Amino acid sequence: MGISIGVGTIIVGLLISAVLAYVLTKINKTTGAWVTVLAPFLALAAVFLLRDSIGTTYSLFFLEFELTEYGWFFSMIMLLVFACVSFFNVYWMKKMVHPAAYNMLYLLALTGTLGAFMAKDFIGLFIFWEMIVWSSMFIIPFGKSRKASVVYYAFSALGSLAMLYGIFYLYNAFGSFNIQEVLKLAATDTTAALVAFITIGIAGMVKLGVFPFHLWLPRAHGNAPDTFSPILSGGLVKAGGFAVFLIAVVMPSYEAFATQLQFMGVSITSYIFILFGAVSIVVGTLMAIKQDDFKKLIAYSSVANAGYIIIGLAMTDALSVGGAFMHIFAHALASAAAFLAVAAVSHRTGTTKMSELGGLIHRMPLTYLVYLIAIISMAGIPPMAGFISKWMLFQSMIDNGMVFVATAAFFGSIGSFLYVFRPLSAVFLGQLSPKHYKVKKAPVLMMIPMIILSGLTVLFGIFPNIVLRIVSRIQTSVGMEGLQFDGTKIIGSNGSLDPTLIVVIFGIGFMIALVIFLLHPKSRKVELMDTYTASEFIYTPELLHYSHSFYAPFERLYKNAPDTSKWYKAILKKVSEIGGFVSYAFFSSKPRIVVFWIVIAMVALLWGGSV
Amino acid sequence: MITIIISILIALGILVFAFLWQTTLSGITRKIVGRYQKRYGPRFYQNFRDIFKALSKRGITHGWVYSFGVIMAVGGIMATVMFLPLFGIVPFPGVDNFFIYVYLFAVGMLGMAMSAVGSGNPLAGIGVMRALTQMVGYEVPFMIVVLAMIYGHGTSSLSELAAIQQTSGFLSWNLVKMPIGTIVGFICLLGMLGKKPFETFIAPAEIASGPMVEYGGKQLGMLMIMHELATFIEISLFVNLFLGGATPIVFGETTVLVGLSSVVGFLLKYSIVYIVSALISNALGRFKIDQVIKYFYKVPIVLAIIQALIVVFLGWGV
Repeated sequence: MGISIGVGTIIVGLLISAVLAYVLTKINKTTGAWVTVLAPFLALAAVFLLRDSIGTTYSLFFLEFELTEYGWFFSMIMLLVFACVSFFNVYWMKKMVHPAAYNMLYLLALTGTLGAFMAKDFIGLFIFWEMIVWSSMFIIPFGKSRKASVVYYAFSALGSLAMLYGIFYLYNAFGSFNIQEVLKLAATDTTAALVAFITIGIAGMVKLGVFPFHLWLPRAHGNAPDTFSPILSGGLVKAGGFAVFLIAVVMPSYEAFATQLQFMGVSITSYIFILFGAVSIVVGTLMAIKQDDFKKLIAYSSVANAGYIIIGLAMTDALSVGGAFMHIFAHALASAAAFLAVAAVSHRTGTTKMSELGGLIHRMPLTYLVYLIAIISMAGIPPMAGFISKWMLFQSMIDNGMVFVATAAFFGSIGSFLYVFRPLSAVFLGQLSPKHYKVKKAPVLMMIPMIILSGLTVLFGIFPNIVLRIVSRIQTSVGMEGLQFDGTKIIGSNGSLDPTLIVVIFGIGFMIALVIFLLHPKSRKVELMDTYTASEFIYTPELLHYSHSFYAPFERLYKNAPDTSKWYKAILKKVSEIGGFVSYAFFSSKPRIVVFWIVIAMVALLWGGSV
Repeated sequence: MITIIISILIALGILVFAFLWQTTLSGITRKIVGRYQKRYGPRFYQNFRDIFKALSKRGITHGWVYSFGVIMAVGGIMATVMFLPLFGIVPFPGVDNFFIYVYLFAVGMLGMAMSAVGSGNPLAGIGVMRALTQMVGYEVPFMIVVLAMIYGHGTSSLSELAAIQQTSGFLSWNLVKMPIGTIVGFICLLGMLGKKPFETFIAPAEIASGPMVEYGGKQLGMLMIMHELATFIEISLFVNLFLGGATPIVFGETTVLVGLSSVVGFLLKYSIVYIVSALISNALGRFKIDQVIKYFYKVPIVLAIIQALIVVFLGWGV
């Protein structure tokens, strides 16, 4: 037998390629960028081939890895996103301030995610978790803002510290770092389970960007380099889903909290998590509707979608967890594709402000189609993958009778039509501004990953069972009931869904419409400016483009809504006041402070002496 | 394979019936509204004339998305109709789940919105904005009521929800079991149909018919077909969900007679709902779009949540 590829080999390989990317980029920028394209693809192939050796343990120096069903699934999603996005790096080398560092950190972030998903013990998980945080923290300031990185790090530190506390608490209680072992033990001890659930849950919520930890997400996603936003949204954020999955399902929370008050079919602790998910759906949706920046809009939509994921995972029944997994997968593909479409637009026009764009469909038709497919999936409309996951989640919510959570979810689902349509209308449709007359199509290399992602979104919308069968295996591997299928049908609790049939029927409907269209007289092509303007003469395309504050009547209704960033600002103010006092009192060189402390010390000494 | 082909043929039959029935009823309603306004009113087949005239004219196009969107819109709505159960005949048994209608319908709506904004007319953009905003208003309360219904009856299949209501006559209708939900459902139906007072996104005097502003020729004709089919879906959903679907009006032993009378029963309920909504539309003025949202998030959503809580916690109406 030749070289056996294991998890250790993949991790070491990626680390070496990160260094290689750094050195090569110093010599030649493009060559270095190609390393970041090749490495994820090789790793993708390697992890795909490891499918048969699930359950094997690997060791690398002092670290232990174990390939689990869910670790494999998460790793595949992550590698897919990294591999697709990396094509864009080649074009961004000229724009980057530190291309070599970017390429290295890009591969380090990938290594971090793979390591975290495959770690056997909590120490490994924590080390690689920090690797994700640190590498992305240094990449974010390569974009528009340094402050975004600070906000990101502040929230990440909260999550990491919470997780570390949980890990040490569990070690103290059970004397082991082994993830599977400790979590199974924790399930028998309600207090330990609660501590683990909350601490690791917070780490997951911070990474997912669930309310009230969502503030870093739009800042980081909106300001990161255009090539890194899809990684953040499609990939790294999903690591939070992994953390929540560990404590909600692997532990499993429904056994650990069986003695707790049960509310709507789940324990009260899980229900509180679900409520946070519901709030983040509403907040994410409302904020996304308001944004003018294309990237921030998709970032807030990620907040809303994180809400669905956490709700699905915390409900811990077969359909909801299946739905959450499908949602993680579908949203990773869709948001990566949407962000890549933004990157392509930004590459050609130099802006991501929606009110400055318009009519790009006439210049970048394929990018438009990619974005269209991505948003159909994000909004949960058939025949895309996003519909399947939303349907499964709705089934679970209705089954448990969660009226308020479902209200939030329905609002988020219909609200998503609003915010996903806005860029479609403002950026791609409508009038083409004269300053964009010379915009060219997106380069071929950019089209390849976008088409791959769109193709997968459609493919898994038509045949979701390919993914759902893997999800079902994951569920049985952690001791849950798996999803049920019947041919192409997914069996739900109060009805079934046949995605393939939906596509066939939609195809028939489309063909009938096409035949009606083709049978009738051919239309005459007119210019975009040749429209009904109530007999006014308007010659400026920008004036005929409705894009600025698109949902103004709706936005007006919640413009006075409480803003979470104010709470954090208040906390920040208090922290800096305390810090100011500490530095004034203890780290001052002013004579009066020194004299004050001397007097205090003397009084204390005299007091002690007199007793 | 043979069953799927038969199913598709049944579905196509339903599609043709839906178009013929709703277009005729629209014509009749125009006549009724005419009389209501002391006019003579057009002939009952006027809508067929309008559609075929538009289809045969040579229109304009503003680019490929303008036409592609129309095809997508008509295709999406046709697919939704093909999933609908009609008179207890279910083309695709077991998979006629409520969410398919909501979301497959959205494909059609997205197609139309895309095409309208693709025309480059800002009035179309405003119209689409209003339509989407209004959708957030009516769709959420409607879905909450249906949530209560699915929770109560344990199925999300539209035909089964209708069948459950046919077990013990009038008293098993959701109209009786969930009266608050039915009121919410009807208000939301007015919103879906774009009838006044929720006519914001058409508003001919304000934004020149909104999304429809640029259309002519075959695109307009196809959108008119789409409009009739969309109306059919919305009213069928309401009748099946709240009014018991195809319930017979004659009771007895002869199955043929009972079957035929259930067809009549369905069509009768359908006509009443449609004509009443048209009459309400003609008696009221139009809300502004922010008033629409404020209204839906004040009255119907609260009623819908009350109805859902009644079903979930008290178990009434199951």
